[in-house]
Amino acid sequence: MSSHEERPEAPDGFVALPAPTAWPLVLAFGLLLIFLGVVTSAAISLLGLVLAVSGGIGWFGEVLPQERHELISMEAHEFAPKSTYRAVSRIHIDAQHRAHLPVTTPSVTAGLKGGVAGGIAMIVPATLYGLIAFHSFWYAVNLLGGAGVADWTNPTMAQITHFRLSALVTAAVIHAALSLLVGLLYGATLPMLPRHPILLGGLFAPLLWTGVLHASLSLINPFLDQKIHWVWFVVSQIAFGMVAGWVVAKQAHIRTQQYLPFAARVGLETPGLIAERHQEGLDQRTESGEEGR
Amino acid sequence: MADSTLPVDRPMELPGDLPGEQPGFTWLETLHTWVTTVDHKKLGLMYIGYALIFLLVAGVEALLMRVQLMVANNHFLSPEVYNRLFTMHGTTMVFLVGMPFIIGFANYLVPLMIGARDMALPRLNAFSFWMTALGGFFLYYSFLGAVGLQGAGSAPDTTWWGYAPLTERAFSRGHTMDYWALALVMSGIGTIGAAVNVIATVFCMRCKGMTLFRMPLLVWLNLTTAGLILVTISPLTAAQIMLLIDRYLGGHFFDSQAGGSPVLWFHFFWIFGHPEVYVLVLPAFAIANEVIPTFSRKAIFGYPAMVAASAGIAFISLGVWAHHMFTVGMSAPGNAFFVLSTGLVGVPTGIKIFNWIATMWGGKIRFTVSMMFAVAFVAQFLLAGLTGIMLSMAPWNWQLHDTYFVVAHFHYVLVGAIVFCIFSGLYYWFPKMTGKLLSERLGKWHFWLFVLGFHMTFDFMHIPGLLGMPRWIYTYQPGFGWEKWNILVGVGAFVQGIAILLFSFNMVRSYLKGAEAGPDPWDAWTLEWATSSPPPPYNFAIEPVVASRRPLWDQKHPEDPDWRYE
Amino acid sequence: MSALAAPAPPHAGSDRRAPSRGIVAMLAVIVAESAIFAIFVVAYVFYIGKSLSGPTPRQVLEIPYFNTVCLLSSSITIWLAERSLKRASTRSATRSAMRAFTAWWACTALLGAIFLAGTALEWRKLIYQDGLTVRTNLFGTTFYSLVGLHASHVIIGLIMLSFVLIFALTGKLHPQHRHRVEVLALYWHFVDAVWVVVFTVVYVIGR
Repeated sequence: MSSHEERPEAPDGFVALPAPTAWPLVLAFGLLLIFLGVVTSAAISLLGLVLAVSGGIGWFGEVLPQERHELISMEAHEFAPKSTYRAVSRIHIDAQHRAHLPVTTPSVTAGLKGGVAGGIAMIVPATLYGLIAFHSFWYAVNLLGGAGVADWTNPTMAQITHFRLSALVTAAVIHAALSLLVGLLYGATLPMLPRHPILLGGLFAPLLWTGVLHASLSLINPFLDQKIHWVWFVVSQIAFGMVAGWVVAKQAHIRTQQYLPFAARVGLETPGLIAERHQEGLDQRTESGEEGR
Repeated sequence: MADSTLPVDRPMELPGDLPGEQPGFTWLETLHTWVTTVDHKKLGLMYIGYALIFLLVAGVEALLMRVQLMVANNHFLSPEVYNRLFTMHGTTMVFLVGMPFIIGFANYLVPLMIGARDMALPRLNAFSFWMTALGGFFLYYSFLGAVGLQGAGSAPDTTWWGYAPLTERAFSRGHTMDYWALALVMSGIGTIGAAVNVIATVFCMRCKGMTLFRMPLLVWLNLTTAGLILVTISPLTAAQIMLLIDRYLGGHFFDSQAGGSPVLWFHFFWIFGHPEVYVLVLPAFAIANEVIPTFSRKAIFGYPAMVAASAGIAFISLGVWAHHMFTVGMSAPGNAFFVLSTGLVGVPTGIKIFNWIATMWGGKIRFTVSMMFAVAFVAQFLLAGLTGIMLSMAPWNWQLHDTYFVVAHFHYVLVGAIVFCIFSGLYYWFPKMTGKLLSERLGKWHFWLFVLGFHMTFDFMHIPGLLGMPRWIYTYQPGFGWEKWNILVGVGAFVQGIAILLFSFNMVRSYLKGAEAGPDPWDAWTLEWATSSPPPPYNFAIEPVVASRRPLWDQKHPEDPDWRYE
Repeated sequence: MSALAAPAPPHAGSDRRAPSRGIVAMLAVIVAESAIFAIFVVAYVFYIGKSLSGPTPRQVLEIPYFNTVCLLSSSITIWLAERSLKRASTRSATRSAMRAFTAWWACTALLGAIFLAGTALEWRKLIYQDGLTVRTNLFGTTFYSLVGLHASHVIIGLIMLSFVLIFALTGKLHPQHRHRVEVLALYWHFVDAVWVVVFTVVYVIGR
């Protein structure tokens, strides 16, 4: 091996190692004194220079014409590495156990359908609240639509409980757009939630975004924030989540690219690999069968 | 570099004159062997010991500052002394604690892990150590030797990044800044020498079968770090030379009166300063990369991804420096560039965190003290990274620049990540270095006290920062709502101090009468465990041959060796 | 240990040739040095035209064609010297090849010395005739720093070159030392390459 270019041959039982030397220290100390002289007096720098030069020359003497080595006796003691673990076990991860890149997913239209269904379902509790609390069909609509109606500052309760076209149009646009978008999001994310899609999508997700809204609505739409009744709000969000989640989950799934083996996904033409579906699982090894611990 | 067949034309010393190795030698002879040594293990130990000493020194400086800040309107320290303390604390912790620790570990472990008998350039190795060490002593000599503004001896007092023009002759009279600049040039030379050595060792000294992609990740990360040091420390050295030209020869590099630009110093310093964080943290990652697999009883997850992520971090880190300078007044595109590039660092770092978690997942985890420190590191580093991303947003940064929020953030990285990893590494390799196991019982006390103290100090330090408490102030008026937080922070600092004293005690006691470690106490897989503890001067009697990333696994499980999978 | 070499797996270790550690280390040093030069070059470029007072580069700087030619051709002579040494280690006509090496090496050192003398003359003119010192203005500060940094590298190189020359003249240099000479030659090539950058920045762009 050329890694030991200059290492001389050592007799049996010995090894040649670089000999200890103080010259690097002398050189470093000389440089220290040169620097110290800069902040104190030139005489110290001069002394440092002398030391550094002698250190450098001494160092040269160490490596020229041949690097200096010393022989060290070597005892070859046997060491057989042994593990306290006797066996190797495998952590097999099923190919279907895919939390993040689903093998199948609902189609885009499934997400849209879910959004539409959820949006309709959401209207029911929202309107119910308006009817029970204010005996008005338009209360919830006007609250949501109020956001986009510029001339509507500090409306009276009478105004809010009565029909107003501009508020209805605005509310319909906001409601439809948000419902469709969230529906699409459900279509995309629900298959990534490995267990309880209805629980997570129908209950947790609405609760989460209600929390975010509750915290931030005072900045986005203070008017809406003041008038909102949060219990009913949560109920209508859950109605959306449940229905949208259920509809999305009921739709037929289509395969994603992840269904294909890796070689096919990256576009390699390797027919042999593509047949081997079972190799898609991920194998990791760990040790098992501890002894005496 | 002649062929090995060349006859040896000078007599080699006969063996037997190895004082210090056998009992019965005087302490002077022992000292002589240590001072003249070129052995990478002894030098590595000296680096680590040197760093431990300065860790205590800089720790005491931190405690003094925390005492001063514990109550409002305190007069425990004068403002001048306070300035010196935070300057010396920062400079010491970065250059005399962090760097020697990581270089010490690299020195000790890299040759052992790649199956070599020494570093490629053993004499340069000794020279590098002495330059670093003497540079540190030189810096501390300023307490006695430098004549400062008050006429008495004084240390540098212009923060550890020494912003121009405060460091110019006109504003820093006396020699304090000269001590600072010269000491950093000295230790910089040492650091560059060590980096050159690591690179030469990794490329030229690997044992048979040790291809680049079979090297342990620790070696990979130290190689990356060494490369980063070359392009990081050099700019600092260059900038210090410019500062010295200004101060001694009357140059105008950073002299605004002659048209010079102090902002240029900011740039030069942070071109060094930010990658420096990665110079410190990559070797800390390296330690976690060895400890976590060993105690999870699994191979590291995603080895190539880890290598790539390390290289990616090193590369990206060179392009993020000005996120320290959002308040300097750069152009909007400049700000935007550094916001985005800083965010980019999160990608490879995230890969690493996921890989550590995936390594632990499904493994048979053994919670030794070393592993506990490593696990705490992963969690704390994640939090530190999150506040880092907050601070990399320019508007947020404008609000919080130079407040204790920033101090809390970078101490979260430096202590929560780097110091935790260093402790993890010390618990892991102390048996290899000394042959004795550190006491796990004391170690658990150390761990829990340190975790408690760390979180008390640095979690609560974020809050006065958010409340607007600036850094570097030596005291403050009551009534800003900072008092109670500062008391908590101060108490936490003392808890950390107790933990570190406990650790020192543990080291001394275990060294004197700890349990024998044996060659392979952790049942690990890299080559350093294939030789006795402590290793003989020649490391390996027979040069090892490896066939996979985990040569000792192949030995321990011949029925299922790694090389079948690589 | 011995046990480690025991069950040789099918693809144990192929016998590769590790690169010379001297060359690797010198390349690493060159990277570090390049970073130092880069900082000085950036400072020079940043301060072009920012001096508050004269003299300006255009008034006082003359393009050192002769110097540049000398320094750059020394790269060629050192390469020829290396080649002679390589021939000396392989061929039987070692003596003549070694003589050729000594001659080319002396040429290199001489060319380096001429360059250094040229720089010294240039500085003398700048200081005594034009009154440009480090203190004068930003141009003076950056010019002397950058060119001085390069000149100090030339001086270090020249000292090493003359050591080798002395060894060669006294017959202590053998073809076996070829690899060490190569390391030094690599450094010299670097010094020359940096001059190209310094020349471009100082005398072409900055003038």
